[in-house]
Amino acid sequence: MATRNRTPLYRKYRDALRHVRSPAGAPSSSGGGGGGPLIEMASLLRSDRTYAPLSTDDPSASSRGAVMVGLPPAWVDVSEEISANMQRAKMKMGELAKAHAKALMPSFGDGRDDQRAIELLTHEITDLLKRSEKRLQKLSMKDSSEDSNVRKNVQRSLATDLQNLSMEFRRKQSSYLKQLRQQKEGQDGVDLEMNINGSKSTFEDDEFEDVGFSEVQMSKLKKSEAFTREREREIEQVVESVNELAQIMKDLSVLVIDQGTIIDRIDYNIQSVAASVEEGCKELQKAERTQKKGGMVMCATVLVILIFIMIVLLILKKIIF
Amino acid sequence: MVLILLVRDYIDRMLHDILGMKVLVLDPQTVGMLSVVYSQSDLLKKEVFLVETMDNASSSRESMAHLKAVYFLRPSADNVQKLRRHLAMPRFAEYHLFFSNILKIQQIQILADSDEQEVVQQVQEFYADFCAIDSYHFTLNIQNNHMYMLPTVVDPPGMRSFCDRAVDGIASVFLALKRRPVIRYQRTSDVAKKIAQETARLMYEQESGLFDFRRTENSSLLLVIDRRDDPVTPLLNQWTYQAMVHELIGIENNKVDLRGYANVPKDQQEVVLSSVQDDFFRANMFENFGDLGMNIKRMVDDFQHLSKSSLNLQSIGDMAKFVSNYPEYRKTHGNVTKHVALVSEMSRIVEERRLMLVSQTEQELACTSGQAAAFEAVTSLLNNESVSDIDRLRLVMLYALRYEKESPVQLMQLFNKLASSSAKYKSGLVQFLLKQAGVDKRTGDLYGNRDLLNIARNMARGLKGVENVYTQHQPLIVQTMEGIVKGRLRDVDYPLVGNHFQQGRPQDVVIFIVGGTTYEEARSVALYNAANPGVRFFLGGSVVLNSKRFLEDLGEAHRISKSSTTI
Repeated sequence: MATRNRTPLYRKYRDALRHVRSPAGAPSSSGGGGGGPLIEMASLLRSDRTYAPLSTDDPSASSRGAVMVGLPPAWVDVSEEISANMQRAKMKMGELAKAHAKALMPSFGDGRDDQRAIELLTHEITDLLKRSEKRLQKLSMKDSSEDSNVRKNVQRSLATDLQNLSMEFRRKQSSYLKQLRQQKEGQDGVDLEMNINGSKSTFEDDEFEDVGFSEVQMSKLKKSEAFTREREREIEQVVESVNELAQIMKDLSVLVIDQGTIIDRIDYNIQSVAASVEEGCKELQKAERTQKKGGMVMCATVLVILIFIMIVLLILKKIIF
Repeated sequence: MVLILLVRDYIDRMLHDILGMKVLVLDPQTVGMLSVVYSQSDLLKKEVFLVETMDNASSSRESMAHLKAVYFLRPSADNVQKLRRHLAMPRFAEYHLFFSNILKIQQIQILADSDEQEVVQQVQEFYADFCAIDSYHFTLNIQNNHMYMLPTVVDPPGMRSFCDRAVDGIASVFLALKRRPVIRYQRTSDVAKKIAQETARLMYEQESGLFDFRRTENSSLLLVIDRRDDPVTPLLNQWTYQAMVHELIGIENNKVDLRGYANVPKDQQEVVLSSVQDDFFRANMFENFGDLGMNIKRMVDDFQHLSKSSLNLQSIGDMAKFVSNYPEYRKTHGNVTKHVALVSEMSRIVEERRLMLVSQTEQELACTSGQAAAFEAVTSLLNNESVSDIDRLRLVMLYALRYEKESPVQLMQLFNKLASSSAKYKSGLVQFLLKQAGVDKRTGDLYGNRDLLNIARNMARGLKGVENVYTQHQPLIVQTMEGIVKGRLRDVDYPLVGNHFQQGRPQDVVIFIVGGTTYEEARSVALYNAANPGVRFFLGGSVVLNSKRFLEDLGEAHRISKSSTTI
């Protein structure tokens, strides 16, 4: 794909014309006025060797440049904070995946540490996502300036990222949940897999054919009950976080653009901006007209006149008496 | 996806190196070029948070110094003037200027002069100066398209702008493909000759350094032909999905405007038909109406099945699965609604205008011979009350193009009947068409009755019978493509520009039709490319025609030529 860089030629003219405009000014350092070839054929790799960021331009220009680069508005900080949060959430999700894998592996020790770590991580991630979502909602506030379009678009892009993150998180959780369930059933069923508590299957118990419950069986029963309760708790927690995330998803889905539809078209968005600006103009004009014609103005004028008349009468009364 | 990917690549490179929040400023033409290949969500991913046009960027006074501006414009004089004003009072932190075609030295000087604050960081030429609507189909959306039918003396500046735009567009296609082609043109068309010669001058003389690419094994070919060589294809009614939507409703830059139609759901007022984003459309865009109906029914059934299963949610697991699949579900729902709305609208139009009946006669006029039978059929349809005016006009035109020389008496009868029945008919329009595109003016063998080989082929086809009466027409361009591949394109009819010579078979061929392409021809090109992987054909034109647009251009040219001869 061919491109052509005209920047060197452009800078040459710009410098030359600058000297013509201000002959007293000292020649500034050459940001790019090199006598490179006029026509540069670009290869497939990047061809922007002469593009220099604003800060490394010649010093005289940078002082002018500093005036240009004003402080970004406050909401930019909010958006940066949100994206930082999402980065952290992504990192934690990586850790969570590892913790999940570890918890599901058969181990000899008590899986309680793993469970706690998983719970902690899950809570943290859900928290981060919820906070990000709340800040995101706040990002789209009043004012109908041009800046609001930029804000809306920033909000949209962050919402898309957030939604993807939430979906991935939920998918990981539901797969963990499924595997957990499988393990739980595997313990009650007749297979011989070693599970976390290491209790054996009931296959061996049937061989005893006791009528009542022996001591061994009682203790086994208690253990399995405790285990089952714990598992249930875990499952409930996971389900709860799944539901929370479903809520977030619902809120976000209003913000996210559907790909492939008309709203995803650049020309449609430009048209609708233009149309809404026009309509806003028309509404304003209409409002102005109704306000001018409105009874309020009449009333106010009449009252003011009456006040003047009263004051005059008062003064007259004082004078006469 | 070839052409689309080329333009996307350019845009990616434009936005990739510039970090931070950006605003993209476009002109009315680059908006169209960008919208067909890039979506709003793609822009958001590249941190472009605002898109403006040149006009509303200059009218607003608000300074947004936290944004960097990326300008993507055509290098027209108008844009350069507006850009001067922007640069004189900059609103953004940095300005990166990208032009879609070759800049003149003078324009660079003007810009350098007005950049007092030195906010411009780079000035580049990225040659994406065409609308890539499909993988092998591009258009230039030229406004005054009817120019090509008029002699230059009528409106020299208009003709100049038309030719310049065509040359710019073609040059940018070849720069994007990184090829310098051998150029051939249709001998009988002055416009095609002018465009071909100017393109050759640009590529081989004026900017020969820019076009000096590595010589590949096989050369590439540019063929510039005239719409008037095949006036039948735009006049016919279409029955394959994409072509049919354009013919009956109208597609503009892959967008369909359904606003004027009743019974269209609120969120489907404007829809997008893009082969890149819409899988169903990609699979069905070249299918005929019958197969399309079956595929839509299948899609609707699948979707109903999916939504029914999502309705009975038994457990939390089911609910969670539904919520996580909801975006997919919503997208499928939107897609199904869109296609159902389009097809039902088209069915309604077909019913209303009796298009099955009309189109059968049209296809016979285009493909089979038999003057007496044709005359009977056309007369009976002209007498039929429910046939609309535009359909009658088309029938008479098709008859006139085929049986121009046979039985002039009957032809006159048809003209009179047409003039008497349609109030809006501007008399002399059919004669004007014959003058422009009659059998004396045409180079190609439109009806397959000049060349012995073609006659034989037609007879064989007639004996075999056709699969589908409504899609039996094959546009002339298929013969042209076969001629190019087999090396049978006669130099007499399609001479080379200058002293070029064609060595061997070309690998990439761009066929540019002055006056506009049709979706039926684009379909033929795409199907031919799929069947013959050795050669790649690209089709482009000044606009994309349907019968309405073609008749409008014809009418406009007719009006102008009438007024200019009376002067």
